[in-house]
Amino acid sequence: MLELLLQNLVNGILMGCVYALVALGLALQFGVMDIINFAHGEFVMIAMYLVFWISLYLAIPGSLTSLIVAPIYFVFGLVVYKLVIDRIVGTYPLAQIAATIGLMVLLRNLALAAWRAQPRGLQYEVLRGSVTLGPVVVPISRLTAALVSVGTMLALHWFLTHTRLGLALRATSDDMQAASLLGINVRRMFALAFGLGCAIIGIAAAFIMTFQQVNPESGLTWGLISWIIVVMAGLGGVSGVLLSGLILGMVEALEITFWDPRASLAVMYSLFILILWVKPRGLFGRR
Amino acid sequence: MRASDLKPIVALTAMLAALPLAVRMNNYYVLLLTWILYYSTLVTAWNVIGGLAGQLDLAAASYIGLGAYTMGTLLTRLDVTPWVGIPLGGLVAAGFAALVGYPTFRFGLKEAWYALATISSVVVLQKLFLVWEGVGGPEERYLPARYGELYYLRFRGYAPYYYILLAVLVMVLLLNVKIRRSKTGYYLLAIRENEEAAEILGIDVRKYKLRALLIYAFVTGCIGGIFALISGYLHPHHFDTWTSLQVAILGIVGGAGVGSIYSLPATTFIIYSISELLRSTLGGWIPGIHLIFYGVILTVVVLLKPEGLSETYERLYGRIRAALLRRRAGGG
Repeated sequence: MLELLLQNLVNGILMGCVYALVALGLALQFGVMDIINFAHGEFVMIAMYLVFWISLYLAIPGSLTSLIVAPIYFVFGLVVYKLVIDRIVGTYPLAQIAATIGLMVLLRNLALAAWRAQPRGLQYEVLRGSVTLGPVVVPISRLTAALVSVGTMLALHWFLTHTRLGLALRATSDDMQAASLLGINVRRMFALAFGLGCAIIGIAAAFIMTFQQVNPESGLTWGLISWIIVVMAGLGGVSGVLLSGLILGMVEALEITFWDPRASLAVMYSLFILILWVKPRGLFGRR
Repeated sequence: MRASDLKPIVALTAMLAALPLAVRMNNYYVLLLTWILYYSTLVTAWNVIGGLAGQLDLAAASYIGLGAYTMGTLLTRLDVTPWVGIPLGGLVAAGFAALVGYPTFRFGLKEAWYALATISSVVVLQKLFLVWEGVGGPEERYLPARYGELYYLRFRGYAPYYYILLAVLVMVLLLNVKIRRSKTGYYLLAIRENEEAAEILGIDVRKYKLRALLIYAFVTGCIGGIFALISGYLHPHHFDTWTSLQVAILGIVGGAGVGSIYSLPATTFIIYSISELLRSTLGGWIPGIHLIFYGVILTVVVLLKPEGLSETYERLYGRIRAALLRRRAGGG
């Protein structure tokens, strides 16, 4: 039992890092422009399919496709921003929810139309095997995914705190009007935040695919997991997101160890509703 | 309630009652019409919380599933007639709504957070029923195949269910009209327009939102029981997030709470028919094309006509009427 718990906890921590990276894309978009994007999980799902196809046709390992998928997704983010998001930023929230729910239904079913309901996994991947640390077996793929996640988060943190562009993004997030008065092009910041958020999804998707399959339904789970983390973290920067991801990963691990794996989503979403009730500003939020 | 409120309901009922005869009881068309009525009743019930109270509720599938499981479990285990099981299912659904809704309103969850909390409740229930082998479990549980007996409300064709749903639709429409004309209705509209202002004016915002939620949950739970009778089995996938989304999409596109209540069944009729047409013609090549249509129509309507289509219908109706009157005047 103890060994199982230990193994699950390690898995949970590794998964937590990946969850945090996926949620970071959403946190960035939500933090900077207050946009409520219900299609986030579907963005992740489409990115995973993209990884699958690029890896298949170029015959390169899935983890390497992150170098291609991330820029593609940055552009994808800009396009979605121009087509949909730009028109609904700052309008009343119900319109934002409705428009992005429309986007979500559209993307999910486009994926269904293009790839049918059958799950797809990578054919070829270099990140294989596992290392054994005492009683715990750590799959290389998950370990790499977690390390890349943390690395990407550190990079983003550095970008937000040490570059002029990053500071401008944070200024926009803190006070849109003041930022605009100081000569920051707010719309451009919005587009940048949305594109960056999507690029992060691209990186995450490539490494998720090394140990998971994708089907058109998987978007729902990723979307809700991201929302749980964003709510838990509040609007408090990168570290809060990472911590929340780790908490969620460990909650999942404990649930799997002590109850039924099929119920893990039930436990996670119950936790989500609970946090919404008692700490709507999140555990690590600063405002 | 005024006589002028009843006139359109009577006209609509007469028209809908004749529809299955117009398609000569063809099984496919009756089934199609049954689903259209099913979603129409759901959307019309949703109007109470989503339209009048302005809360984007995505928990419809929770209430449907609870209603279905309550009715079905009572029927299969204890041989309790659906006549009792359906309203009991509504009560269970309302109980669950109170359980989730009270703290949700107490802690002031609004807008996106309300939507997220409610859609999460669907997934939570689905997984719990999957694990709860005593009642749910991963296998389908079939309802007794006692067809044609009024005690079991099970029928071979779909026409009986069509007329049952029609009766429910009429009741839900009347309920909507009644609420809209009552004090509760005006309070809810005030909350929808501006919650803070409504609170300052002395409206107990929480109480009225909860009241709207309970009414909606009860009705939706009852419809869930009927749904289980139509589908003939119970399964955790009756807690389906897509149903929740579909109801909200039809409500938003139909302009819930903005214009006339009849816009909602009309929108359901139009959108469901188009999506079914797409499915039956192109669905073989492009699976999910009918669902893509939902996504497109919702995004387009929200971007171009955020208040929904109810006003468009009214203008269209006015124009057709004017044209007919002109023709009659010209001909005479």
